[in-house]
Amino acid sequence: MNSPSSHFIHKFRHSSNRQDMATNEEEESPTELNTINSSAGFLIVSPDKLSIKYTGLGQHGHDVGVVQSNKPAPFKRHAYYFEIYVKDAGVKGRVAIGFTTDNFKIGRHPGWELNTCGYHGEDGLIYLGKRQGETFGPAYTTGDTVGAGINYDSQEFFFTVNGTLVGTVSKYIKGPLFPTVAVHSQNEEVSVNFGQEKFAFDFKGYEASERNKQQIAIEKTSVPPNINYRLVKNYLLHFGYEETFHAFDLATNCTVPPIYVPQEDGVDVQDTAYALNERKILRQLIGKGEIDAAFAKLRDCYPQLVQDDKSEVCFLLHCQKFIELVRIGALEEAVKYGRVELAKFIGLNVFQDIVEDCFALLVYKCPEESNVGYFLEASQREVVADAVNAAILSTNPKHKDRLYSHLEALLRQLMACCLELRLLNDGQGESLSLNRLLKNNSCKRIKKTG
Amino acid sequence: MATSKKVITREEWEKKLNAVKLRKEDMNTLVMNFLVTEGFVEAADKFQRESGTKRILFFLLCDFHLCLVKVSFFLNGETAEIDLATITDRMAVKKAVQNGNVEDAIEKVNDLNPEILDTNPELFFHLQQQRLIELIRQGKTDEALEFAQEELAPRGEENQAFLQELEKTVALLVFEDASNCPVKDLLDVSHRLKTASEVNAAILTSQSHEKDPKLPSLLKMLIWAQNQLDEKAVYPHINDLSTGLLQDPSE
Repeated sequence: MNSPSSHFIHKFRHSSNRQDMATNEEEESPTELNTINSSAGFLIVSPDKLSIKYTGLGQHGHDVGVVQSNKPAPFKRHAYYFEIYVKDAGVKGRVAIGFTTDNFKIGRHPGWELNTCGYHGEDGLIYLGKRQGETFGPAYTTGDTVGAGINYDSQEFFFTVNGTLVGTVSKYIKGPLFPTVAVHSQNEEVSVNFGQEKFAFDFKGYEASERNKQQIAIEKTSVPPNINYRLVKNYLLHFGYEETFHAFDLATNCTVPPIYVPQEDGVDVQDTAYALNERKILRQLIGKGEIDAAFAKLRDCYPQLVQDDKSEVCFLLHCQKFIELVRIGALEEAVKYGRVELAKFIGLNVFQDIVEDCFALLVYKCPEESNVGYFLEASQREVVADAVNAAILSTNPKHKDRLYSHLEALLRQLMACCLELRLLNDGQGESLSLNRLLKNNSCKRIKKTG
Repeated sequence: MATSKKVITREEWEKKLNAVKLRKEDMNTLVMNFLVTEGFVEAADKFQRESGTKRILFFLLCDFHLCLVKVSFFLNGETAEIDLATITDRMAVKKAVQNGNVEDAIEKVNDLNPEILDTNPELFFHLQQQRLIELIRQGKTDEALEFAQEELAPRGEENQAFLQELEKTVALLVFEDASNCPVKDLLDVSHRLKTASEVNAAILTSQSHEKDPKLPSLLKMLIWAQNQLDEKAVYPHINDLSTGLLQDPSE
């Protein structure tokens, strides 16, 4: 099991990894047709790579003019969608729209080969990896706008004609999928829309209603009454926000009618209120960068925590002191301090690279702007404060060894469940980001169309 | 016939829990959001001081001078937090109306908060009216008439004031040279600006009252997520939300 201290060491080292919160949700999206991997012999792609025209003879089943998009459909969202416009259905109207994978066979209609899917304009049938199609929707021809989409929540393909949904099929194909278009008789010409133009189908509305379905299901669940107050109180006590706790406690006891918060087995509350005042004081001191005072207070009240000078709590405090000296520009003093207090950590794997990074601060004229600049941020002090807080809590003889506040435990469970759900869904679907949730307004409903 | 479910042991699950990237900052913001929206002003104040979590941020973008003025703002004794990003969104809506792209503006407003137009029928009517004006301005007579019939007439039927406005607007079509007729003011850019201000005010009002705290929704989401995952896997649950204790899958 993760020991509490290494949790904070890890945070101290990585407190500023804001990037990997946001950007691993940035996905590539199709923007044009892939001219490298197309049936070059049977079609030509327009210079803007958004139109195709059949140039073959359409004599058999292996001279289909088919082309994929340049990138696969992004999948970290509820759904993906694109459209084609049939400029000219040509002699036979054998246009097709669908999805294919990486190892796609040139010259074959989407849907005829395994791991492909295609909705064909000639007969309105859907082809799901077999030469035999199934009844699906209307046939389509010149002047029609046909759309194809993937619903990652329901794991289905869906198709539209001229703005109306015509049907869905189960998505049996795994892995990244490429929007695919095909033409197969003389004069057939089709253009593609990957979202650069407005869609005929209200895709945004569709997405919103998918999101809505989830929201409605979520709203239906019920939560025990007063749970929020209990969680907030536990949070405040856990981290030692004493004054906030008292103000909140007072307010919840003074409402009319009073918000009755049944005491959890009184022991639990007492546990979390353990050493509340000392923890508050230490958080304040560390928050102001007064590390010496923090050490003094600890020696006074909890000598056992600072007895072993090589403990993780001491390490973090010493590092923070070093950082504070750099912050005020007392570089010589910082070096002296580092020699006395930090040098002993070199050679100990866990701490060494942090010490090196701290020392790196000395090199820069403007350390805040360097790549180790995050050491100088307020969040760094907070990590140390949280670590000291946890250490003091651990001195409670009745301590139950709980690293996280109840609120954090719930949030972690929520995120872990969502991550697992997405994992089991082939990595597809919209992810949960607490950060993004906190920024957004209330859930988006189906919007009014103008 | 159910497919076999993935079994996740407690040890594996705890590893996943510990690997979740959760920032203290975000949790603090969640708590602050709760204190503020539920009206615990004192506690929110103290929390700001004790944790450094920002409580109020109100940026006022002055149209004429394009300068940023930071102002602390109290609204009926309630405190509110407004994000810089939503200011940008609001400005985008305003700009769209000022440029005559009413459809775009409506879409953006709904993206920001669908409740704004839902709860503001007058605003919505004025936006539709502006759209009609733009169609007339572009000389799209047929489209304008169709739009007026389908979208505006029904609203005019419900409301006398709307009807009068609608009649005034349609009157633009009667004149060969609309820019010289008695109702020419409607075509003036100033009318766009008037509509833009109306939208802006409505958004501001909606943003300054962050009505619902996020915490309860997150708890509901947790229950929902566990239910969803139950269909596909066996793993430790949290059954008692008030303690957040993990229960082994076998229990």
